[in-house]
Amino acid sequence: MRILFQMLLSQSFRIVTVKAKEQVLANLANFAYDPKNTEYLRQLQVTDLFLDMLTEKNENFIEFGMGGLCNLSMDPDCRDLILDSDGISLITNCLSNQREETVLSAITTLMNLVTPASQSQLTEPGILQCMLRFSLAESPRLHNLAAVFLQDCCTKDQVRQAEQQMQGQQMAVGIPLPKD
Amino acid sequence: MNSCFEMPPKRKRVSANMAANVNSKPGCWKVPEVYKHHEQHNACFSRPKYRDGRRAKAVKVYTINLESRYVMIQGVPAIGVMEELIQLCALYGTVEEYRPLDEYPAEEFTEVYLVKFQKLTSARAAKRNMDEKSFYGGVLHVCYVPEYESVEDTKLKLQDRRSYVLKVARSRAKERVADAVHMESTSSESVPTSSRVFATNNPIFNSDKTGETSSFSHCSGFPLLPLPPQEYFHQDYRGNEPTEDQMGTLHDAVPPDVKQQKVQNFSSFSKDPNSEKKLASNPDSSVKLVPRTAHLEKNKRRKMEEATKQPVPDSGEPSLIGPKLPEPHKLDMNDQSLNTTVNLIRGTMKQVTSVPDLKPAEKKVKPRRRI
Repeated sequence: MRILFQMLLSQSFRIVTVKAKEQVLANLANFAYDPKNTEYLRQLQVTDLFLDMLTEKNENFIEFGMGGLCNLSMDPDCRDLILDSDGISLITNCLSNQREETVLSAITTLMNLVTPASQSQLTEPGILQCMLRFSLAESPRLHNLAAVFLQDCCTKDQVRQAEQQMQGQQMAVGIPLPKD
Repeated sequence: MNSCFEMPPKRKRVSANMAANVNSKPGCWKVPEVYKHHEQHNACFSRPKYRDGRRAKAVKVYTINLESRYVMIQGVPAIGVMEELIQLCALYGTVEEYRPLDEYPAEEFTEVYLVKFQKLTSARAAKRNMDEKSFYGGVLHVCYVPEYESVEDTKLKLQDRRSYVLKVARSRAKERVADAVHMESTSSESVPTSSRVFATNNPIFNSDKTGETSSFSHCSGFPLLPLPPQEYFHQDYRGNEPTEDQMGTLHDAVPPDVKQQKVQNFSSFSKDPNSEKKLASNPDSSVKLVPRTAHLEKNKRRKMEEATKQPVPDSGEPSLIGPKLPEPHKLDMNDQSLNTTVNLIRGTMKQVTSVPDLKPAEKKVKPRRRI
């Protein structure tokens, strides 16, 4: 299996066409869904590859990269790797992505990244307000995930504070809801 | 017959939310939204052969957010086969609830059903096996519908997923620790003492790893040879691969449960006299030893591929409720016979269009009535 991954990865550097890159990326992200593969993927630095994809312009790259991270981040070792690579800020940027799938993957990934060390960063007012806005969204998947985030990742006090801050803001330069 | 889908108040609220797109007036008949993830993407045909699977698949990434215990089945022929459909679903796991989705846009003469499985793994199996399959003359399209989940459902789904991932990670960590311990204990014995080359030509018939390692290396009879990499060395492939064993019947004497252990035990050699003879007297063992390691490596790789390949589709859950359906017919997309009909049609069209006077009899395509 490791050889297969290496082949795929070595191919990805030589492949020029965007479509082929997308396919390889999607394959890797789907491999990442099986936890038995996470160790190999981590050793082959696929976690870093996914993080790099988040800064690309191609929307598919971002979506697939984010999906891959969502799949990998449940594994504790990968989670730590993502945290060490300043993943939180990269992933938080994806919360303002236009594609719902990307946003959902970002929310789930942030939930997976919660550790005692990272909790304060993950419950910053900006993120909490974003989640509050999402929890009022029409899209069921979006408001469900946001609700789970608010229930599981922060205290009731933090949520209340964020609510008050939101009401206090006159001009909320908010993170727009994704179009689907 | 009607389904007895009883929706508790909580669920009613969710489904109402889900259905509201531009209709904010209460009491209006709300149409469920057709989400993008319900759509079937076009299958990707631009993949090079080595990346192509057996079935044509679209380029899509699956995350836990896209999967759900709730599944929607479209394309069910409207001939009163709901019971049969649910029975088919039940092959893959317990069905908790089901109902027809009358309000969902459907093709003519077909129905759409919402099915809630007890487990996500059942839903996964059902989707994998029922999607694109023919059913009483129609073709089913099965997709997950996570938007029917409640907040609790979503939370439980994530929790289940997390505990599964952690379980796999923990078992992997245990293996790693066991490996490390094993490597430590054998590394101290790994220095070959060339003077004792033919001394221990009696393989030790026990599971003492250190003893066996040294005895094997000593019995090779070629002290100048570097030891093969320890990790591969410690797997007893003699018991696993009868076909590639070049040393005769050695593999037969190894107990079968050896095959289950991975890098753990350098398990027992047999006391087979043939093996001893061959080990001691084989002048070509130097030539055979090196390719054998390559064989071991290849086998290990192959075993790992097999082990990881199978669980990938359903994420490692081995238990399947109900009988297994027969394997789907494997289609070779490059087979020219697939193009027979197309070529025939093209030929006919060419003939027809080359004769401008004749008007080709156009058959009006009628929707097929299904009773």
